[in-house]
Amino acid sequence: MKKTIDTVKNNERKSTQILMQEIWEGIEEGYNEFRINACGQHNIGGSVWSKDGGELNFYVTNPGQRTGGMGAAGTNIYIEGSAPADTGWLNSGAKIVVKGDSGDTTAHCAASGKIYVAGSSGTRSGALMKKDPKYSAPELWVLKSTGSFSFEFMGGGIGVVCGVGCEDMPSVLGDRACVGMVGGFVYYRGSVKNLSDDVFVLDLDENDFEFLKEGLKTFLKEIDETKYYDELIDFSKWHKIVAKTYEERKKQSDITLKTFRLNKWAEEVGGSIFADLIIDDFKAHDLVQTGDSRLRVPKWKNYAYSAPCEYNCPIKIPTQKRFSLLRAGKIKEALELVLDYSPFPASVCGQVCPNLCLNNCSRLKVDEPMDVKMLGSLSKNIMVEPQKITKDKKIAIIGGGVAGMSSAWQLAKNGYQVEIFEQDDDIGGKLAQVIPNERLSKEILDAEIERFKKLGVKINTSVKVNAELYTKLEEEFDAVVIAIGAHGAVVIPFEGYERLIKGLNFLKDSKKGIKYNLGEKVVVIGAGNAAMDVITEVYKQGAKDVTAIDIQEPSAFEKEIKSAKDLGAKIIWPCFTQKITEEGVQLKDGRFLPADSVIISVGDRPIFDFLPKSYLDEKSRIKINEFMQTLVNDKVFAIGDSTRSGLFTNAIADGKHCAENIMKYLSNDVLIDDANKKKLIPQNRIKAEYYECYQPTCDNEQNRCLSCGYCRDCGLCMQSCPQNAISRIEKEDGKFEYVSDSEKCIGCGICSGLCPCGIWELEDNN
Amino acid sequence: MNINSISKDDLPWIVEYDSDKCMLCGKCVAVCSFGAIKVDVQKRKKVGAISNEEGFQIDADQKAIPVIKQVIDEHKFCRGCGVCTKVCPNGAIKVSRNKTEIFGTRYRAKTSDSVKRGGRTNIHTEGRTLDKIKVGRISQMTDPSLDAIRHTFDLRTNLGRVVSPENLNFKVENGNLVEDKTKTLPVNTSIYPIIISDMSIGALSPRMWEAISIAVAYLNEVKNIPIRMSSGEGGIPDRLLKSKYLKYMILQIASGHFGWNRIINAMPYMQEDPAGILIKIGQGAKPGDGGLLMAEKNVKLIQEIRGVPKADLLSPPNHQGLYSIEESVQKMFLSMNCAFKFKVPVAIKVAASATSVSVYNNLLRDPYNIVGGFFIDGIAGGTGAAHEISLNHTGHPIVSKLRDCYLAAVHQGKQGQIPIYAGGGIGMNGNLAADTFKMICLGASGVFIGKLILQIAGCVGNDFGKCNACNTGRCPIGITTQNPKLTQRLDVDTVAQNIVNYILATDIELKKLLAPVGNSTLPIGRSDALVCVDRNVSKRLKIQYAC
Repeated sequence: MKKTIDTVKNNERKSTQILMQEIWEGIEEGYNEFRINACGQHNIGGSVWSKDGGELNFYVTNPGQRTGGMGAAGTNIYIEGSAPADTGWLNSGAKIVVKGDSGDTTAHCAASGKIYVAGSSGTRSGALMKKDPKYSAPELWVLKSTGSFSFEFMGGGIGVVCGVGCEDMPSVLGDRACVGMVGGFVYYRGSVKNLSDDVFVLDLDENDFEFLKEGLKTFLKEIDETKYYDELIDFSKWHKIVAKTYEERKKQSDITLKTFRLNKWAEEVGGSIFADLIIDDFKAHDLVQTGDSRLRVPKWKNYAYSAPCEYNCPIKIPTQKRFSLLRAGKIKEALELVLDYSPFPASVCGQVCPNLCLNNCSRLKVDEPMDVKMLGSLSKNIMVEPQKITKDKKIAIIGGGVAGMSSAWQLAKNGYQVEIFEQDDDIGGKLAQVIPNERLSKEILDAEIERFKKLGVKINTSVKVNAELYTKLEEEFDAVVIAIGAHGAVVIPFEGYERLIKGLNFLKDSKKGIKYNLGEKVVVIGAGNAAMDVITEVYKQGAKDVTAIDIQEPSAFEKEIKSAKDLGAKIIWPCFTQKITEEGVQLKDGRFLPADSVIISVGDRPIFDFLPKSYLDEKSRIKINEFMQTLVNDKVFAIGDSTRSGLFTNAIADGKHCAENIMKYLSNDVLIDDANKKKLIPQNRIKAEYYECYQPTCDNEQNRCLSCGYCRDCGLCMQSCPQNAISRIEKEDGKFEYVSDSEKCIGCGICSGLCPCGIWELEDNN
Repeated sequence: MNINSISKDDLPWIVEYDSDKCMLCGKCVAVCSFGAIKVDVQKRKKVGAISNEEGFQIDADQKAIPVIKQVIDEHKFCRGCGVCTKVCPNGAIKVSRNKTEIFGTRYRAKTSDSVKRGGRTNIHTEGRTLDKIKVGRISQMTDPSLDAIRHTFDLRTNLGRVVSPENLNFKVENGNLVEDKTKTLPVNTSIYPIIISDMSIGALSPRMWEAISIAVAYLNEVKNIPIRMSSGEGGIPDRLLKSKYLKYMILQIASGHFGWNRIINAMPYMQEDPAGILIKIGQGAKPGDGGLLMAEKNVKLIQEIRGVPKADLLSPPNHQGLYSIEESVQKMFLSMNCAFKFKVPVAIKVAASATSVSVYNNLLRDPYNIVGGFFIDGIAGGTGAAHEISLNHTGHPIVSKLRDCYLAAVHQGKQGQIPIYAGGGIGMNGNLAADTFKMICLGASGVFIGKLILQIAGCVGNDFGKCNACNTGRCPIGITTQNPKLTQRLDVDTVAQNIVNYILATDIELKKLLAPVGNSTLPIGRSDALVCVDRNVSKRLKIQYAC
């Protein structure tokens, strides 16, 4: 049944709503063919279906937008002439034939059905077409061309653009076709420009030919243009657009950056822009590196630093080495080693020395410092072989005190002919003449003096060197050492100074057994170490009330002060003496210290009565350089108290240093200004954490030593190295070393961090 | 331990170490470029007692165990870079920021020296202005919006002087518009609105600098993104000067003039003109300060390329021959224009300041048409080395300063004639496109970025005190160091690729902002596209308030 609807009557246009109602009523009445003379009404032929499931046919002229929009299967719409925008919008199965051009967004979102356009279609034609697998794919056939952005976001279906009469057009699909296309096919005939990157263009295959041959027949018949059939089935001019697959989209079509660098960039700049300035292979390294690429490298630096004991000892006796030898069971070597440094290990180290060596002993970080007095005493009975004279040079030493003996000791051990000239009746200097027996056992000192004498140095005692003899010595000997000590007691010319007893003389006399009648009350002027010795002796001779005074804080060591105070002595300061009277000492501040005797012990000066004036400065001190060499005569050296007052260890150190320089001088070597320049090992390198605090005994003392800077050969570094880079190498002479293999080592510093002795040093890898 | 000694709790970062998890592989210590951790021994002692049928038993146990310890030192302190955590196989070590913030006080009290570092301002007094601005004008029913993917966009902007229409080289002859050959037009180039800004060779490692150059060349040659890079003033390698890639490089001249003799000597051999010249007067990170290259970084390569001996290199705070804006135009702009035959745009970079508008107004009156760009750098800019006081307390926020300059030009009807480029914290929140777009809407012709590029390359530093050790030359990533052992950590290809990727992502995101406002070209000065959720900011910037 056919029904014709005119939408304009009496100059009145039916609205879309009225038209649609007439169509729906017609379908209700059983009409299945409508001829509609439209006037721009929308959606004609859309969303309708017959009662019986049969076909509905619409023949439409002059339609509005969205003709056939939401068209259902079984609906056929034939538009005479052109159609405006959105023809076939959301087509879900209708056949729509446009006998002219079709507007923008033709077939927009079409999901099924067929749309045939006898002319061109507008922009975004075929946009968002998609295919539902339950229904047949949507098709859009266009005889001529489409506008720009056609088939964008297409997800399925088939577009066919025949390009009839468009041979001169740059693009039959307009500009930027197929943007965002992910599925379906678009066949086109002619050329296409500026297609999106989302698609490939392929040549047709047999299946495509078959599809197009059949499809074109139907299409051309529907639009009454069968005349083009022969022209269109020349498939050489056709192409097919397919969307890239999901995987293909991800592929980069451009050259990669690395390829760009290695080729274009490298070619243009000659490798790298810095190639003429630095060498760089551009290899990216892992953070953890070995070899030259490490940030830091460990070095096994055994004995590269002084231990605190060695460093603080004026003689630089390497006590850490002595304990190390003891640990190794080499007792003899351990006890002998000290004799390379001093002839008085028992007397000085073991008795009178304040043991500066222990001031910063690392063991203090655990408990108490090492017992170096015991260690020194143990060397008392170590004997020496008489010297073998191997050198033809002769050295005269003026003064057989500690400094002179130290010098003679070193020179004789090295084969030089040494002769000592001593004014006293025996050698030993102040150790023998002045230090009270309470502080230094006579037996110990005698043993060490005996050992010295065994060496074979020629000793002339009771020889006072005068100007004449001195000149002779200078002439006859290859070198002369002035080691006369300080034997001129200093007296300050207070009023009544003639009443003063000189401390030095008092001590010397006491040691010889000569007693003084001091009375009960004694004042000692001066509070240095010698004054403390004086106090000890004064009490021994019967004094009851002893006071030591000083103008400044007492310079005596704490231990000496304590023993003086223990005897009952008072030490007061600051006290400035005004005069000495029969009754005692008058101080400038008005105080009066009653005294039966007043002893002055403020220092001693050397007596250079045998030396030409030119050797001395304006204060009568001998002029020497940093090599202990007199400025006047290269071959004359001066050491010990004759140059400055100091400890016995200073005197021994001077003697040793001077001997070394004399040997250099005699062999025309360059003199040195310090015998041992080694730096002190940084304290944080010594790991006291390993050591337990326990009661020391004679047998385990060596185990208490932290062996600062001196490898104890524990092998912890080997064990702990995470790279297994460290090995121990035993040498032929029994010595050993640890080495780190730079090819394995990553420079972590575990070896240095864990080393108990601070041997491994982690250095910047420059 | 003395109470006055510096202690772990004084340091800016605390190393947290779990000795139970540690297997003593040593990697953390091996990789720490600052020497801020070390291996050490710890004493552990446990004493206990129990009374049982055998009586009162004392149980004492002592041992020394190896540990990783933080170094307590005011120079070798942990910077929080976290490289130790990266290499630890067991998760036994990590770092955390010490919230007490006492280090600066201790450092100054101990050393009597100013604190120096790299990075950006670490003081966050207020939120970022740009984050309070939204792109709020969306084209929907009013006008067709664009599709960021489907549509083509032209993201290019200008570098170079733009003249008023009446000054164009046209004239009317017999009623027709014809070219006027008596007038010369200033040079003008079309470039991407993002410039990778001036980080010198010296501040950066050679690998890092070359990686940026390669990324820029790749973006231009392969991806058709006409991005430009400013050289910084630390010399330019001869090989680059003589290569065709020079055309992507904006050469900087700062107060030190370092390396310019080599540029001059290379001129006869240049295949291409450089992309531009940037006269650096000041920088946002440290306004009023010249460049600072610590001696640690002044290695042989740098000494050679800059023509100086080993020393801390301090550039003067200003160009020593320039005393006024007019003189700058006369001398510096003319000289640089002459050097490249007036074919290369010459721009100037200043630190944003209360005086920036005056400077810009003055430049706009430039009678020679030789001022090709005005670069303003805000307080949030980064640097390789500066006094912390400059970083944190000197300078001017960039957003209102850009707006003031732009509106000053609008007032004269001269907007766009001297393109304004704004920098200093652009991309600081990780989104370069958003910041760029907003700045463009506020009147910038483009933006410049520095620190962000380093972060793209792998820089672990942040604006909350992390790392910021660029000045030490010990950059753990290999970016701001001249130590070959650290530089070798950096993978040039990955860095360049990351930069390329980031810019490509930014390109997409810029379009995602252009499309909804309906612009297919850059909306320079289109402030109606923006709304602001802060009433004060909206008032100050003259943009719509929204809440």
